Amino acid sequence: MTGEAVAFGAVAVVLVAASLAVVLTRNLFHAVIYLAVALVATGVVFLLLESPFLFGVQLLLYAGGVVTLAVFAIMLTERLIGERLTQTNRFIANGAIVCAAVLAAVLGFLAGTPSGPLPAPTADATPAIGRALSGPFALPLELLGVLLVAALLGALHLARPDD
Amino acid sequence: MRTGSPIVALVVLALPFLSFAVLAVIPPLRRRGRTAGILSIAAIAAAFVMAVGLWLGGARVDAPNAGSHTWAWIPGDGGPMATVGVLVDELSMAMLVLVTLVSFLVQLYSLEYLDKEPRRSLGRYYVYQSLFAFSMLGLVLAPGFLQMFIFWELVGLCSYLLIGYWYERPAAARAAVKAFWITKLGDLGFIAGIVMLWAATGTFDFATLFEMAHTSRAPLAGIETIMFLIYLGAVGKSAQFPLHVWLPDAMEGPTPVSALIHAATMVTAGVFMVTRVQVLFALAPTVLEVVAWVGAFTALLAATMACVESDIKRVLAYSTVSQLGYMMAAAGAGAAGAAFSHLLTHGLFKALLFLGAGAVIHAVGTNDIFRMGGLARAMPQTAIVFLVGTLALAGVWPLAGFFSKEAVLGGVWDAGLELPFAFLALTALLTAFYMFRVVFIAFFGRAHAGGHPHEPGWLMRGPLWVLAALTVAVGIWFLVAPGEEHHGPGWLPAMSLGLGAAGFALAWATYHRGVINPAWLVTAFRPIDFLARRRYFLDAVYVGLYRGVMLALSRLIGWIDRYLVDGVLNVLSAWSLRAGDLLRRLQTGQPQDYVYGVAFGVLLLVVWVQFWRR
Amino acid sequence: MFTIGLFGVLTRRNAVGILLAIELMLNAVNINLVSFARFRGDLGGVVFALFAIAITVAEVAVGLAIVIVIFRVRKTVEADHLDLLRG
Repeated sequence: MTGEAVAFGAVAVVLVAASLAVVLTRNLFHAVIYLAVALVATGVVFLLLESPFLFGVQLLLYAGGVVTLAVFAIMLTERLIGERLTQTNRFIANGAIVCAAVLAAVLGFLAGTPSGPLPAPTADATPAIGRALSGPFALPLELLGVLLVAALLGALHLARPDD
Repeated sequence: MRTGSPIVALVVLALPFLSFAVLAVIPPLRRRGRTAGILSIAAIAAAFVMAVGLWLGGARVDAPNAGSHTWAWIPGDGGPMATVGVLVDELSMAMLVLVTLVSFLVQLYSLEYLDKEPRRSLGRYYVYQSLFAFSMLGLVLAPGFLQMFIFWELVGLCSYLLIGYWYERPAAARAAVKAFWITKLGDLGFIAGIVMLWAATGTFDFATLFEMAHTSRAPLAGIETIMFLIYLGAVGKSAQFPLHVWLPDAMEGPTPVSALIHAATMVTAGVFMVTRVQVLFALAPTVLEVVAWVGAFTALLAATMACVESDIKRVLAYSTVSQLGYMMAAAGAGAAGAAFSHLLTHGLFKALLFLGAGAVIHAVGTNDIFRMGGLARAMPQTAIVFLVGTLALAGVWPLAGFFSKEAVLGGVWDAGLELPFAFLALTALLTAFYMFRVVFIAFFGRAHAGGHPHEPGWLMRGPLWVLAALTVAVGIWFLVAPGEEHHGPGWLPAMSLGLGAAGFALAWATYHRGVINPAWLVTAFRPIDFLARRRYFLDAVYVGLYRGVMLALSRLIGWIDRYLVDGVLNVLSAWSLRAGDLLRRLQTGQPQDYVYGVAFGVLLLVVWVQFWRR
Repeated sequence: MFTIGLFGVLTRRNAVGILLAIELMLNAVNINLVSFARFRGDLGGVVFALFAIAITVAEVAVGLAIVIVIFRVRKTVEADHLDLLRG
């Protein structure tokens, strides 16, 4: 068992546990915290997969930005205490079965495919990413910028107080 | 056989058609009334002249079927499937003369009889008259069953149009429909028989069929059924029992119409057809026996009904039915020549009687003989011609009716049909009786107070005298012409004269001298009198059949349509609506439900890929 | 992780909770992409994951804004009550 595998196993456990917590806790604030944990764990997975750049991005954007936004949203939409009674609705049984089935199916997929040899770990890919972004992927980059502007404008408009 | 030029025959056929077409297509001409009449009369007069010329100029030809000239009409494999054309032989030439002559006289007569009609209606009348002349001539000249059937139906249509000429009168409209309906019943059998014959032999053409029959190449299986079905057409058209009920009601039409189509021409089409295809009927002797029996029975039945009628036209109508029965009986007995000669002579004197009755009705304003009386003094000429017609109908020598009636009786006797012969003999007695009853009641006796009857104008008297003269002339012709062999036993002439005299005597005693009280006669024959006055309940039978059978069937079909056919559709639509309602519940509007749907779909896809694509 | 997120989307009543679960799903996808990139030596997976993250961030921002507006209008963010699409 390589060290990598062990590390991955540990992170995986944390990740799954945090995810379950996100969807199952009653308190929404707690759910956000658990989400943050899950996001960080995801970043660690990225690290294990030889993408430190992505790890950094994940931490910055997700664990920082998204979580903050979620907290703000919860605070703004929180009503009285009576709201928090049951956070799960009628689909528990159905949903559980369907999701379990999907899981089983996908795992079945994976079990079927042979896993090839592990290629050697490459050098740090960050400069390569940069070159890719300004090369073949330049257009998507620009479009992404447009998207971000649109999102910004949309959020601003929606957040306007009613005149 | 004798034949003539087909071109002339076509001209005779075309003249009334042209008159019809012109009058039908040019309304202003038609609406002028008398002008339309004159055009139609001119056409038919020209046709009459040509027909006489054709008849006189006929030559003897030895080939058996030389008279048939046809042109292909409906193409088919191995020769045309249907042909049209003309068949010129003694039968058709004689009929041509009869039809054109009586049409001409009737159209002339109508100018005065219908002089009080509005001009447009008169124009319409002459359109129908021209169409009828064309149809009847086409029927007579038909060289095959198909053409005959087409003109048969056309003639039926004209009968409907002319009976219902005064269509505002409900009785007239009903009578026209009844005539059409009843004859249609017979026509159903007719067309079925024609088609079956075609299926068996592959042709409609008379010439071919007769040849097949002669050389006995005709497939004989089912010939009896076929000929019986064909005979049914004649039953309807020639008012044989039980399809005779339309003829008395057809008297709702104007009297000249009755004279033309319900005495001399249309109703004789059935007899004509039977005579024309006698070769084929000879192949089915059972059917011929039926024809003879039905004919004799019809003759007697109608004669009894004529004895109790008080409407002069109805008496004549029943008389026509009775005489048609005579003709059919002769045809059934195999004496087709006798049947045809009686057809010709009866056409003459029955038309005479009808036109005479028309003169009387026109003068007095009523059809009821008990409201007439003493007309012999007021209308002597009419009385004379009517008497001539009556004598002819009663079979008095030497008028035409005597010879043809004797031929019929002789033919029936020679065929060994004894009971039909007895019927016909009894009918002869009754015929004399009821006709002289009418004569005595209407023309003799006390005159009625109301109205001042007078002789009709020359337009009506002319045809009357012509027909009377012809009746006498044809009688003389029979007397002097080298006739066919004498039919029947030697005592036949004496017997028929004796029967006629007996009938005359009975009527004279009852109605002229008053020696025998009519009421005694009624009591003596009470059951028959009772039934005859009610037309033997036949009309009621028809109505009952219609109401019972047809309406019940219609109701059944209506029920099926409403509950089964519509029911199926309604069930289907109800199911669609319910399905729609059910599906509607999927649209809850809640996003999580939709995501659930997506997840479920993904699951299915995954499972499918996983397991079933192996 | 993906199925857990799916489960969360299906069962969470609060709209924000649903969005959190969506985050989980998206992250799972990113992990998948990056691992493919790693095991096949293709850098496209990493770039794709990068874009995915960026887009996700934008989407979360707008989504939360919408939730806030809904809260303002309907005074509730409970998924069961948001059934205006009902047919």
